Amino acid sequence: MQIPVQIENGRARLRLDGRFDFSVHREFRDAYMPLLEDNSVREIVIDLGRVEYVDSSALGMLLLLRERAQTSGKQVVLSGARGTVRQVLEVANFGRMFTIEG
Amino acid sequence: MTESSLTILIVDDATANLKLAKKVVQQLGHRAVLAHDGEEALQRFDEVQPDLVLMDVVMPVMDGITATRALRQRLAHTAQHVPILLLSALDGTADVLRGLEAGADDYLPKPINVAILQAKLRNFARLVENQRELARQNKELADRRARAEEEAQLAAYVFTHLTDREDAHDPQLRIYQVPYGEVSGELVCGARTPAGVLHVLLADATGHGLPAALSALPVTEVFHSMTANGYSLSAIAREINRKLKRLLPVDRFVAATLIAVDGAEQVVEIWNGGNPDVVWRDGSGKVTRFRSVHPPLGILPEKDFCSQPQVFTYTLPGELIVCSDGLIEAESPEGRAFGLEAVIANAAAEGKGLQAVVGAFEAHLGGGPLHDDATLLFIGLPQHSQVVSVAVPPQERVAASSGYRLGLCLGPSELRQLEVVPGVMDFLMRIPALKPHQGALFVILSELFNNALDHGVLGLDSRLKAEPGGFERYLQTRIERLYTLQEGKIELQFHLHNVEGGNVLDVTITDSGPGFDYGAYLREPLTHDRPHGRGIALVRSLCSELVYSGVGNSVRARYAL
Repeated sequence: MQIPVQIENGRARLRLDGRFDFSVHREFRDAYMPLLEDNSVREIVIDLGRVEYVDSSALGMLLLLRERAQTSGKQVVLSGARGTVRQVLEVANFGRMFTIEG
Repeated sequence: MTESSLTILIVDDATANLKLAKKVVQQLGHRAVLAHDGEEALQRFDEVQPDLVLMDVVMPVMDGITATRALRQRLAHTAQHVPILLLSALDGTADVLRGLEAGADDYLPKPINVAILQAKLRNFARLVENQRELARQNKELADRRARAEEEAQLAAYVFTHLTDREDAHDPQLRIYQVPYGEVSGELVCGARTPAGVLHVLLADATGHGLPAALSALPVTEVFHSMTANGYSLSAIAREINRKLKRLLPVDRFVAATLIAVDGAEQVVEIWNGGNPDVVWRDGSGKVTRFRSVHPPLGILPEKDFCSQPQVFTYTLPGELIVCSDGLIEAESPEGRAFGLEAVIANAAAEGKGLQAVVGAFEAHLGGGPLHDDATLLFIGLPQHSQVVSVAVPPQERVAASSGYRLGLCLGPSELRQLEVVPGVMDFLMRIPALKPHQGALFVILSELFNNALDHGVLGLDSRLKAEPGGFERYLQTRIERLYTLQEGKIELQFHLHNVEGGNVLDVTITDSGPGFDYGAYLREPLTHDRPHGRGIALVRSLCSELVYSGVGNSVRARYAL
């Protein structure tokens, strides 16, 4: 599975689908690594709108992305989480580390 | 893969044939071993353990077919397959079949065609080589599996012993735990401070198994040693976070719930970072939920970390229910999550709350598999405020102490930043004569110091605590005043010396506050019934003397060792 990436006005949007867990960690990394080197990208938006499940290793992947993005001076935004995915982000208080948009 | 050199056993009674075959074998870079009949072939075979056999069929003593059968029998119980090529002038269908049925891999007609023999040898050499590689990989895999099993066993052993410490068997604590694999990445610890406050920890590390267990490991040592030294819940949370942040990679963290139950004061503190809501269910059936308000431990750098717990006081008995996400997310065979609501509903069963929840949980799973570790924890808060029992060891007649003095003077910034009592205790406990008295000294020191700080320096009135919601307001005011404290100080003096043949420790604490009317206070009888001042009553019962002086802003406690 490849994760689709759209870049528009300096915002890169990664659209994830279904289960976001350890099984997609390679695809996830492969999707964002080129964005870190892309000077036109200022913000990386992780679109969770179609995600039905996240586990703690997915949260770990987000933290790793955040650290790498910070090093390259970019922001990470978590977007569109709903249902249990939204709850998991809330329980982990990820709002303290990420910008979360509806 | 480069073709390696094989050992090939050539069996023929005709010397010319042996010579020719040997030449072909050697030209291809292999080693040739020769035998002149079947019997010699079996003997040579045992000696050199060849990789391949070229065998004539018609020979004296023992023919090639009999020798082939014998070899196959010998090799029946080994994993290795040694190809056997029969060479024969008998090339009728029946002859060829007889050879193949005896266990030969191929049948070449005689006289020997050098080109065909070369080609066949190359093919079989490749087969042998593949087989060797496969055997090597199988062995490596088996070795790795054995090592992984051994590591998991070691981890399981260490982990079980970490969680199975005696102090986790606190009578107030009931634990149900099911690991997903051999090792659980979830950890429950329970321990008491020297003053009898129960500290409980539920830690849930990222992932499962060995990596998760490894991440949770440093947590226990910090929890136990700091609790034993009387550090507060927030100091423990802060230290665990600092340690995990330093030890773990960015994508690893530990969701944790830390709880302190002070049965004497009937106060509960909860620090929840990344775990499901903690449920407080009191005797009237009223349910209060304490959600996670912090990120898990090991994520935030120290400067961003908030160690502030949620605090509540209780009057009715009841229980605190703590569970891991593995428990509430566990799915039934139909794919439905267990849910916190089911935990709360089943916990209502009088007298068997934990068992009722466990029963419902196991019925929910319906024998199906778990996909994560699951933990459930009940902490009972008893009806009557327990009287803190402090162990006081029997007095010893030891040699007169040479005596020493220790003095400390703490101003606003020290009072804000330091955990004074555990810090001082840490030092005092290094003195062998004081070590057996840890519990009593901790109570004396923390009561007197907290009075000096709260009432003397911060000007807080303990009557506030008695009002509805007063305790929370008291704490809030305390935090605000401490944070903005501009002036004020507390002096501590410790004097270990010999009085009338016995060693005593004098603890003198003086604050910069206005003091209080201690005359009336000390005339009150010693009782545990008063809502406040219980602490001082306890201190008085532990000390041989408790003397106030000045305007009541200085107190000296004498403790006989």
